[in-house]
Formats: sequence, structure tokens, C-alpha cells
Amino acid sequence: MSPSFSEATRARFERMLARYPDKEAAILPTLHLAQREFGHLSGEAIDYVATLLGFTPARIEGVATFYTMYNRKPVGKYHLQVCRNLSCSLMGAEHLIEHMSRKLGIKPGGTTADGTFTLSTVECLGSCGTAPVMQVNDDYHEDLTEESIDAILDGLRQEHG
Amino acid sequence: MPNFTINGISVDVPQGTTILEAAKTAGIEIPHYCYHPKLSVAGNCRMCLVEVEKFPKLQIACNTIVTDGMAVKTDSEKVKQAVTGVLEFLLIHHPIDCPICDQAGECGLQIYYMKYGLHKSRYAVEDKVHKKKVQDIGGQIILDAERCILCSRCIRFLQEVTGTGELEFFQRGDHSEISIFPGRPLDNRYTGNLADICPVGALTSKDFRFKCRVWLLRGARSICPGCANGCNVEAHFKEEILYRLKPRQNDEVNKTWMCDPGRLEYKKANEARLLTPVNRENGIPKAAPWEAALSSVAFRLWEMVEKHGPGSVAVIASPQFSNEELFLARKLADEVLRTPHLGFSLRTVGDGFADDFLIKADKNPNTRGAKLLGISEEKFDDIVQNVADGKIRALLVFGNGIADLSDAETGRLLANVPFVVQIATNEGAVSRAAHAILPSASFVERGGTFTNHAGRVQRFWMGFPPRGKARSAIEIITGLANRLGAGWKSGGEAQVFRAIAQSEAPFAGMSYESLGELGQTAGGKG
Ligand code: SF4
Ligand code: SF4
Ligand code: FES
Ligand code: FES
Repeated sequence: MSPSFSEATRARFERMLARYPDKEAAILPTLHLAQREFGHLSGEAIDYVATLLGFTPARIEGVATFYTMYNRKPVGKYHLQVCRNLSCSLMGAEHLIEHMSRKLGIKPGGTTADGTFTLSTVECLGSCGTAPVMQVNDDYHEDLTEESIDAILDGLRQEHG
Repeated sequence: MPNFTINGISVDVPQGTTILEAAKTAGIEIPHYCYHPKLSVAGNCRMCLVEVEKFPKLQIACNTIVTDGMAVKTDSEKVKQAVTGVLEFLLIHHPIDCPICDQAGECGLQIYYMKYGLHKSRYAVEDKVHKKKVQDIGGQIILDAERCILCSRCIRFLQEVTGTGELEFFQRGDHSEISIFPGRPLDNRYTGNLADICPVGALTSKDFRFKCRVWLLRGARSICPGCANGCNVEAHFKEEILYRLKPRQNDEVNKTWMCDPGRLEYKKANEARLLTPVNRENGIPKAAPWEAALSSVAFRLWEMVEKHGPGSVAVIASPQFSNEELFLARKLADEVLRTPHLGFSLRTVGDGFADDFLIKADKNPNTRGAKLLGISEEKFDDIVQNVADGKIRALLVFGNGIADLSDAETGRLLANVPFVVQIATNEGAVSRAAHAILPSASFVERGGTFTNHAGRVQRFWMGFPPRGKARSAIEIITGLANRLGAGWKSGGEAQVFRAIAQSEAPFAGMSYESLGELGQTAGGKG
């Protein structure tokens, strides 16, 4: 079935659209709305956004695949986005990523079998002062160590449990 | 008019001219990939870098407007290094599979590498990013994504010319890739142009794929016979086989484009050709030498006129034939056979699709020409009526088919006529019924002119002599007329056109010289 916005999202979309005289500029925020609503941007979701805004699906796909923060594949309940850029790497991000991989049994880009976690590496999260950093869904976790990561993951698992 | 110097040569150019275009007028080539004269400027390939005095950095020639007193260098060491560097970047992930690439021989990468590159790649072959090859993306196109240099010409063509926007770049960085949205193939009637404008082998023609190496092909300037638009084309052939049609620039007619159905028009010159004169004796078609064929046709026509009067003979001309041929056909009917029954039948194809760009509903290249020469379309129905009533004893049919009559209808109609002669290129319902077939030259086997829907008279040139025993229709008609006592001087299309210019008001003052490569508009209404 082709996806479509709930009434509430539809209303948000209309309000947002009114702020952009150039519809092309509304592609990014509309994709964010779609990702929030549908979890990830499937081909159908891209097609839906294309129809909403009056572009070809190819145009929308081009934008969606250019930016790494749009998920073209389904992600787990918790999307762990670990920074691998310069400051975080200097502060040991590489080891943390390995640690998480081992603990969760997945490689970066993978999702645990139960669908709880997706592990991704991302570029600078703009929080170099508190490196190493990861973003879990919308929340930042800073000054990470193996121990703090264990605590975060265990906590999330319990919550999910 | 700004005056500027390029490599020391002083040139005047119109206001607003880019360095790249201005360089052309000075005879200087500036290498470029993304720039295309009929598309918007993207400025993304960086091949056109030039040095401009007083500018700290190199500038892209495709998007820098010439100003008065500007001094440009395209051959300095700095420019050469930059261009080689850009080329090295563009080739980093290129698969270099020229031996299996149709573009080889007319590829921008090959050409510029030999001229501006000749560098050793510093990138390891095993580090190259690979992308999907051999993708059928619809229309006439095969996509090989890893050959693409991301110039965006194809994207701009589909946005600016067809307005359909099927292609886009997906992903980013060295994973950037040109593609269609899954399940949404190319959906327009101009896809073949993508293979022309793609400077590399990323978008190639499905039809031409692996058929022939391009350096073996020769070209003839021609006119697409596919519809009344008369797009200027280049017909590419090897020996006696046509391989493809490519648009030839004519800003008044087709700019640098042509349509997809038009691109396949060449096939008829290769397939199911009538290549030898045929006489049917007691129902059995027999190949005949030209002399015998022409004499027996002339004799039968004379016999009918003698026995049943000129009104018993009819001529169905065809707007598939050139102005020169139609002019002679008219003279044959009017002055030699003296029959009132001369009309032309329109070839109709498919749904008669037309758009507001190039494609015309009339699928004949010379309908306007036939009308301007005073051959009437209205008479055609009259002739058909006379045939059906059994009043026509001899019928001379030009062309492969009769209007939009089906094969069965054609057979039934022609069965009413004791003697049917056909002058045509291809087998079909008419050739199956004709008592005599006089095979004529295809559009690339003869020269002449067509008059397009807008009255533009345009020349097409002979690429190679008629295949088999076929002859130009000019020779055939003249041969018949002279056997009927006309005493015409034999001559080529140029001579016939001179006669047209002398006696036909709409063509007055025209000559092959004045028509040139791009044609001229005929006066008067058609
Ligand atoms: S496919 Fe060809 S025309 Fe399109 S961007 Fe790539 S190189 Fe340019
Ligand atoms: S528009 Fe008509 S003349 Fe032009 S390429 Fe197509 S068929 Fe040929
Ligand atoms: S490098 Fe990780 S937050 Fe900036
Ligand atoms: S031709 Fe100028 S940047 Fe491509």
C-alpha cells in the first residue's frame, strides 16, 4: 500500500510549505517529515513526496540519497550514529565503534536481529568539544567511554525489553 | 562589440559571448564536456579552464563572459597542467573498457586524453569504484553508470528539452551515479538524443549497440524521411548498409535534435528492398533487364492511351519522393501521358502522433513540396473512385503503399486495374500486385530536395549509388518519358531543380547553391 501522511502531519506539511516560495527548497523538510512518519524513506515514500511537491521521483531520490541522514532502508528502534570524524577519532571513536560492533554482533550499517539497534558511523556531529560523541535517535551522548556505552545500551535494551 | 585577445589573437565578439564560444570564432578549441550549446550552462566538468589576465585563478570558459580588453590564454603551462589534472580526476573511476564500448572512436574521453592528457594514472585499478553496467533504462538507451563523468548534460536535456526529468544523480562523492528512479524508465520520444549528447559511453544507443565500429562508417548529409518536419540528419553507412541517423544542426528546423521514430527510418533502406526490375508474365514475376522493363512498361502505357484514351491512365504520386522526382512525375502525367488523373497519396503511420516540438502528424517528408508543385491530394480520392469503377486501365504508383489502405484493401483495389506499374523502394502490398516493378533508390542512394511542412526546401545528398539494380526515380521517369517520345534531356537532380526554379513560382530564384546545407523557404502558399 502506498504510504500517506496522517492528518496531523499533513497539516504540518501544509504550514511548512507556505514558508517556502520555492517548492524545491521544501524538499528537505518534507523528507524529514516523511522519515519521521514512515520510519524510513522507502521507494513508495519517495514517490509520495514527489507527488506531494510536484517533482519527479528521480529528483526526490537524488536529494534523499545525497544526504546521509535520510534512511533509505529500515532502521532499528534505536539508531546509533557514532561520529567517526577527526575530533572523535582522536578521542578513540574507532575503538568504541569496534566495541559496539562486538557487543551488538553487527557491523556498521547493520541492524540487530531483534530490530532494536542499527549501528551507523556518521561525520562530525558538531560536538567536537565533548568527543567522542554518538547520537541515538534525537539524543546526543557525549564524552563516551566503553563503560558509558555499555550502560546506555543496557538501559535502552531494558526500556525496549 | 567587445574586443578581446585570445592567445594573442584579437577578436571582436557580440556582447554577452562566453569565452568558449568566442574562442571558436578565433578557431581555437577549448575542451569541454558539460557545456552544450543548446542546454543551460552547468559549469561542473572543469575541462574548459583558461587563464584570464588579472584573474587570480583559472576561469571556466563556458561560463565567463568576454569583456572589452580581456586577455585570455588557453595554451599556457598553467592551463595545460590544470586541464590534464581535471582529466586525470575524471578518469579516476573510469573502467577504460574502450574495447567493448560503442562510443570508442567518438568518445570525449579518448579524444581529449590524446590531446590534453597522455598522463599515467596514479590511481590503482583495484581501487576503482564500480557501478552498474548494461542497464536498459527505456527508450533507445542503454546506461553504463561507471563510464559516466557526471557532466549532467542528460539531466539538463530531460529537464529543459523534453521536460520529463527521468534521469538524476543519486548518492554523492565517488558513489555519485546517474540513473532513473526504479521502475520509471525514460518516457519521451526523444531519448536517442541522450546517446548523442553524452560525451562518453555511459548512454549509448540500444539499436546501434555492437553493430559497427564508428570509424568504419561514412556519412552523408541528409533529411529524415520520417515526417513533414524534415529534420536535418547525417546518415551513417558502411558499404551499402545504413547503420544510423544522427541529427545535423539546423537551428531553423531541429536545432541539434531528432525524434526516436525518425532515428529508425534508416532501416527501410536496408530491409525488404526492391532491387531489380520485375515484369509479371501470366501472373509470375520475372526479373527483367532495365531496357526491357522500361520498354515494355512504356509500350503498355502507350497501348492503353491509344486504345482507351489518356483518361484510362492514372498516376498516384507520393510525397515520399523528392521535389525533382515529383516535378518529373507531373510532367510525365501532364505532358506525355496527358492524363487528368494525377494525385498523391499520403503515407500514414501508426496513430499520426504529433507534438509541439518536432514530430508532425504527416509522416511524409515532402507533402508541402507535392502541393507547391501543383499535385493535388484531393484528386487522389477521385482516382481511387475511378479505379474502383474499373475506368482505369493502367496505373502508375509511386511509393511502397497507397495512403492508409491495408494490404487487403490495396490488393482488392489494384485487382481492378489490368496494368499496374510501381516505382518504389520496398516490398509490400503494391509490389505483390504490380505487373511491373521499377525499383528506385532509397533516400541515401540519391540526391534531391524535400520541402518541409513550413515550406523550407532542403537538400539531401547521395551517400552511395543505388543498391542492386535500383535507379534514381529521375532516371526511371525520364526513361519512360523518352520511350513515349518525350525527348527529355537526361540529367541529374541539379538540372531538374534548375528547371523547377525556372517554371515553378514558389521555387523561383532558388538553386542548389542558394539552398546550401540548411535550405531556404519557398515562397507562395502550398
Ligand atoms: S550519462 Fe553521459 S551525459 Fe549523463 S551525466 Fe553521465 S557523462 Fe554526462
Ligand atoms: S520529427 Fe520527423 S523529421 Fe524529425 S526526426 Fe522525427 S520523424 Fe524525422
Ligand atoms: S568530530 Fe565528532 S563531533 Fe565533531
Ligand atoms: S565545459 Fe566549462 S565547466 Fe564543463
